[in-house]
Amino acid sequence: MGAINLKMLLESQSLERAPFPVPVGWYFIDYSENLKPGELRNIFVFGQEWVLFRSESGKPGVTDPYCPHLGAHMGHGGKVCGEHLRCPFHHWEYDTEGNCKAIPYAKVMPPITKKGPILRALPTVEKYGMIWSWYHPACEEPSFELPYVPEIEDATGYTGSRRGSWSANTCIQEIAENGVDVAHLKFLHNAPIIPPVEATYNGPTMRINIGQGYIVGDSYGPGLNVMRFTQKDPVTGKAITATMLSYTVPVSHDKSQMNMSFRHVDFPAGTPELAFTKKQIDHMIGAAEGEESAGFESVDFIVWNNKRYRPNPLLCDGDGPIFPFRKWFKQFYVEKPKLDDASA
Amino acid sequence: MAVVKLIGRDGGESKLEALSGCPLMEALRDANIGVEGTCGGACSCGTCHVYVDAAWLDKLPPKTEDEQLMLEAIGDLVPLKPGSRLSCQIPMSEALEGLVVEIAPAL
Repeated sequence: MGAINLKMLLESQSLERAPFPVPVGWYFIDYSENLKPGELRNIFVFGQEWVLFRSESGKPGVTDPYCPHLGAHMGHGGKVCGEHLRCPFHHWEYDTEGNCKAIPYAKVMPPITKKGPILRALPTVEKYGMIWSWYHPACEEPSFELPYVPEIEDATGYTGSRRGSWSANTCIQEIAENGVDVAHLKFLHNAPIIPPVEATYNGPTMRINIGQGYIVGDSYGPGLNVMRFTQKDPVTGKAITATMLSYTVPVSHDKSQMNMSFRHVDFPAGTPELAFTKKQIDHMIGAAEGEESAGFESVDFIVWNNKRYRPNPLLCDGDGPIFPFRKWFKQFYVEKPKLDDASA
Repeated sequence: MAVVKLIGRDGGESKLEALSGCPLMEALRDANIGVEGTCGGACSCGTCHVYVDAAWLDKLPPKTEDEQLMLEAIGDLVPLKPGSRLSCQIPMSEALEGLVVEIAPAL
């Protein structure tokens, strides 16, 4: 019997499940069709409540709920008035950038209203038929842009309306780490082999290539991952690519909502290519008919929902490149600024 | 404590005791002489505007950008003078014993 290694044996007691703040990035808020002009509602993401609204002309806004004036919650009784969000309490109005645009009874607008936004509003855009907001704990402007994704932005070449949404009781880093953890593909997902993986990192983007082109995934920050699955159709001999857009939202620092859209080439009805590519998509989500291996839905959650994050994991040869991934992901963690007189 | 000499909106003169360490605005507001001081010192309402006697101006802390912007903003409604200050930005001390200020017109 060797020496007792207390660090190994006892470390798990003090481990946390998700010891990270909400990461910086662009995140899915809702599908565009779910927010009509003039509509307003409360949403809970990034560890707090926000007011989501769409102006009469169609601009989406995501703001802190509490009016800078006397603190009323604008998602309870507030209204969209033209291009503005109007507080129910004294009818102060804010635009989608958080600028105070009207105080109906003041003879003089407080000068601070001319200097810039006084209500926190997240930079918000519409892309892929969705509303996206930029989260940064210190309210900094976006440091990268969302990419052009032909599969969902080119109306002529692609189709597919399958979407899904799943709750995971962990943080995005833990979910995304599975992309480089190729050994789990064999043992948790029952893949025939441990596929080779190459991961390349470039600023906020990352590309993983699993199985020499079988799965190529491009991440744009923590909130968007475009994964392309390419396989040879045994009937026609053609290589066919199907696409999974994965856009996970940090509901809080340790709870995530995983959202996905599945897109494929617009093959004519009844063709073997169409049948094949639909099966590819079945395979991404769960176990496809006649296959041994399993997609994420059936096997990953039990691990995600119960694991603890090991900052010092015990890795062995054959494990995937976990540490470079973690080093890349670290750039998205920015501590909340402390407010003092200098920043007030 | 310092005693401040006031010139009211009606031109009448009076004396007011102002507590050291507190902004002049609080003494004016609490004296019920028409100074509202609504925003509590945030330079966002312009209701504590006074004209400071020229002899005292250089004994006061310089205007911050926020005070300057608020004064400019009320300039459409009330006359601004070289002695225009927001009294919430004048911290009282013994050194200001005898300070002379005129209450500016209401907005």
